[in-house]
Amino acid sequence: MKLLTHNLLSSHVRGVGTRGFPLRLQATEVRVNPVEFNPEFVARMIPKVEWAALVEAANTLHLAEIPTEPAEGYEHDEAFLRKMHHVLLEVDVLEGTLQCPESGRLFPITRGIPNMLLNEEETET
Amino acid sequence: MLDRVRHLGNIAIMSGIQEATNQFLDVTLHDNQRSVPRAESDIRSESEHLHVTIGATVPTGFEQTAADEVREKLGSWCKISKDRGKIYFDIALESLPQVHCLRSVDNLFVVVQEFKDYQFRNTKEEVLKDFEDLAAKLPWSDPLKVWTLNTSFKKKKTKRKKISQNSSKGKLESGQGDKFDEKDGHEEPGRNALDSHILDYYENPAIREEVSTLVGDDLASCSEIDGSPREETEPQVRKFRVTCNRAGEKHCFTSNEAARDFGGAVQDHFKWKADMTNFDVEVLLNIHDNEVIVGIALTEESLHRRNITHFGPTTLRSTLAYGMLRLCAPQPTDIIVDPMCGTGAIPIEGATEWCNCYHLAGDNNPLAVKRTANNIASLLTKSQIKEGKTSWGLPIDAVQWDICNLPLRTGSVDIIVTDMPFGKRMGSKKRNWNLYPACLQEMSRVCRPGTGRAVLLTQDKKCFTKALSRMGHVWRKVHTVWVNIGGLHAAVYLLRRTPQAFVHPSEQDGKELGNAKNEDDQ
Repeated sequence: MKLLTHNLLSSHVRGVGTRGFPLRLQATEVRVNPVEFNPEFVARMIPKVEWAALVEAANTLHLAEIPTEPAEGYEHDEAFLRKMHHVLLEVDVLEGTLQCPESGRLFPITRGIPNMLLNEEETET
Repeated sequence: MLDRVRHLGNIAIMSGIQEATNQFLDVTLHDNQRSVPRAESDIRSESEHLHVTIGATVPTGFEQTAADEVREKLGSWCKISKDRGKIYFDIALESLPQVHCLRSVDNLFVVVQEFKDYQFRNTKEEVLKDFEDLAAKLPWSDPLKVWTLNTSFKKKKTKRKKISQNSSKGKLESGQGDKFDEKDGHEEPGRNALDSHILDYYENPAIREEVSTLVGDDLASCSEIDGSPREETEPQVRKFRVTCNRAGEKHCFTSNEAARDFGGAVQDHFKWKADMTNFDVEVLLNIHDNEVIVGIALTEESLHRRNITHFGPTTLRSTLAYGMLRLCAPQPTDIIVDPMCGTGAIPIEGATEWCNCYHLAGDNNPLAVKRTANNIASLLTKSQIKEGKTSWGLPIDAVQWDICNLPLRTGSVDIIVTDMPFGKRMGSKKRNWNLYPACLQEMSRVCRPGTGRAVLLTQDKKCFTKALSRMGHVWRKVHTVWVNIGGLHAAVYLLRRTPQAFVHPSEQDGKELGNAKNEDDQ
C-alpha cells in the first residue's frame, strides 16, 4: 500500500462519517520500489492531497522530514518534488495495520493489500 | 500450439516503439531482397514509402475510440466500417511496429483489396466461380511484402528474447491460476534468478507458483519456434488457410463454400499448401452485404488478453478495458478507481497506458484481489525486463473492500470505471436489483462533484437504467455504447457526476453538522 492510497482511505465504520480519516498507520514491513520520477505529476498531485494526513503517515514511517505546509513556489523546487515523489509513490507498506481514529477498529495490511471489509454489525446501513 | 502462437502476438505488442522500430529497420532490407521479386526501381526506397491499408477488429461499439487512438498515435484518419467492429486506416510501412502497439485493437490485417459494392451474380455457381477467378487478379504483391516484414519482425523479437534469456538459469514458470481459470497457459517447470526478486513479495508458496510471467510464456514459445519447420532461413512451401466471415441476408452461398473455392484458387495461384491449423498466411475474406474485403492477417490470435496472466471467471478483454478508460478521457493526476476489479483488467490497462494517473483496484473477493496483485506483479516483471529499467513501481494499488461501503474519502475520486456484475456469469439478476442502487449511491459519494465521471459496463441494462433514474441529482448520463461481450448484449454507460455535493442521509436531519461543513469545504 502506497502512501497516496493511504491518503484516500477512510474508515466507514457505522456512525463514524468523516471522523474516520485519516487512518492511523502502523507498519511492520515496508519496501521501497523505485518509480520513475515525474515532476509534473507530483506538483499537480500535491494540491489534491490531504497534507496533514500525509505528514503524519510519513512521520510514522520515519521518512524524511516533510514541512507542515508546502512552501510557496514548491512546483519548481525539484528537491522538494523528489522528496514528495518518494513519499507518495515509492514507499510500499507490505505488512501493518490501519486504525480507525474514531472507533479504534483495526484493518490489517497483508502483502501490501489493506483489508477494509467490515462485519454486518459494523457497517453503515 | 495456440498458446504459443498467441504469445508471439504478445511479443509484438510488448515491444516498445523505439526498440521495435530499430529491429524493424534491421529486417526491412534483408527480407525484401530475399522474398520479393526484384523490380527495376530501388527496392529499399520503394518499401520505405510504401503505403498500405490496415484493417483492425475492435470491440463492437468502440470503433470511434479506436479511431481516436489511431489518429492520436499514428496520425492516420480511420474509416469505420458498416461491418461492426472494424476500422481501416492507411499507414506508411515503417509505422507497422507502432500499429502493433495500439491498445484498442484485437486483431490486425493488411487489406489486399476492398470492393465497396461487389456485384454478386445470381446463382451460387456463378458467385463461387467469380471468387475463384478473383484470386489471380488481386494485387497481392504489396500486402505480401507487409506480411513478410510483419512475420520477420515478430520472429526477430522472439529470437532476441531467447538469446538474452539464455544466460539466466532455467525457464520461468507460467501461470495457471486456480480451477476457475479458462483453459489458458501451461505449466513449465523451473525458476529463474530474476523471478525470485519479485517473488520475495509473497511468501506463500501457493502464490509463488501462480506468479506468472508473460516472459516465461515467451521463453516456452521460443524453444518451440526453433523446433518447428517454420525457420526463416529455409525457403519452403508456404502454408495458408482462408477464413471467410459473411454477414448479409441476400447471399446465395455460405462462408464455407466461399472459403473453400476462393482458397482453392489461391492455392493454384501461389502453389501454397492449405493447412487449417499450422498455417503461415491467413487470408481473410470478409463479406458484409455488398462490401467485400480481402485481407491477410497480421496477428495470429487476438491480443485482447495481453495484460492478464491470471484469469478469473469473467475477465474483461484488455481492448475493452482500454476503450472504457479512453471514453472517460483521463487527465493527468486523475484518481481512477475500479471498485469491483475482478482480476484487475481495467486498472492494469490504466496503469500501463495512463501512467500519469493514479489507479486503485478493489474487490470484496479475496481471490480476485490476490489475482489482481499477481497480475500487477507480472506487469512489473514484464516492464522491468522489457525496458531494462530499475523502475519497479507503477501508479497502482490494490485494496480489499466492499463496493457498498467504500473506505474512501467523500469526493476524492475523479473516475470510476468498472465492469458491473451481469447476473448471468456472476451474481444473479435478483441480487442486481439491490446491488445496483447501492453501488450508484456509494459511487456518487466518492466521486468528485462537477468534474468526476463514471464508465460502467453492464448487461443488466433494465436494472441499471431503473437504478440510475432515481439518481438524477448526482449522476447525469452522457453517452451509451452498445457492446457485445461473448455473445451477451451489454452496454457501457458514461456518466458525469453533477456538481451537487453528496449529502449523507443522516445529515439531512442536521444530525452531523460537522460532516456537512466538510463537504462544503471540498
